[in-house]
Amino acid sequence: MASSITYPDDRARWFIEGDKLCIVTNVDSSGNTRTTARKQWKAISEAVTDGLLLHYYGEPNNVISINDELDLDNTMHLAIVDYVKKCLYMDKAGNASDPNLIAVSMQLSNAHKLKFDESIKRYGMRKRDKTGGSRVLKSVSLM
Amino acid sequence: MSVHKISVKQLVSRVHQVFPGAPENYVLNLVNDALVEIGMHSTKPVQAKMSTVADQMWYKIGDEAKDSSGNNLEANKVYRVDLMDSDGDYIQIPRLIDKNILLMDADSSESALTTPDDR
Repeated sequence: MASSITYPDDRARWFIEGDKLCIVTNVDSSGNTRTTARKQWKAISEAVTDGLLLHYYGEPNNVISINDELDLDNTMHLAIVDYVKKCLYMDKAGNASDPNLIAVSMQLSNAHKLKFDESIKRYGMRKRDKTGGSRVLKSVSLM
Repeated sequence: MSVHKISVKQLVSRVHQVFPGAPENYVLNLVNDALVEIGMHSTKPVQAKMSTVADQMWYKIGDEAKDSSGNNLEANKVYRVDLMDSDGDYIQIPRLIDKNILLMDADSSESALTTPDDR
């Protein structure tokens, strides 16, 4: 069943609050503009199956067994190795009694932490971005 | 042409080169921690459909939220919302920057509000 809203781009708005998505519209269930100025923007007054299409960044699937595949682009795979080694070196430093071993383990843990941060936070966007070609300056969208 | 990927098995094997005694289950837990961390940095674009409910203003998009086919949304950051028009096409709707618009009100029958629990 289609919606009764003819021009959603003009008649509806969305925003996020916490873990909730808010959708408001200024038309009633018949598709007519609400005339009461004080209560013009309200919830959508009709139930529409599949009426919303959300575009979002989701969480990668978790791994359950050793035979699973990583749910990430392969540019991110080495970062996971760094993350795991970072944690294991930190564990090793925590369990060791030899001060030299502790110092070396912490240094290696920090080295892997740095590599992880660089590949995900610092250069992550360059790796994930599939856009090629020359760059242009674009003003910020206020939508 | 094939793309080189690292499977979980290969990943565990690489870790075992340096940490032979690391329990496999623990390594898998660390991999999942890494996936959660990486998931916060816009790695997996997803599109999902949800059904609108009459007179419901708030739609849950948290960890337990599901799309209209019953799959978990697992949304981290919503960057675009489309609403079905009268022809059945999805049209992008604007995001409201200022949420405190004067002329917006929730119905008294609003059922999707978060109320305090009894704990």
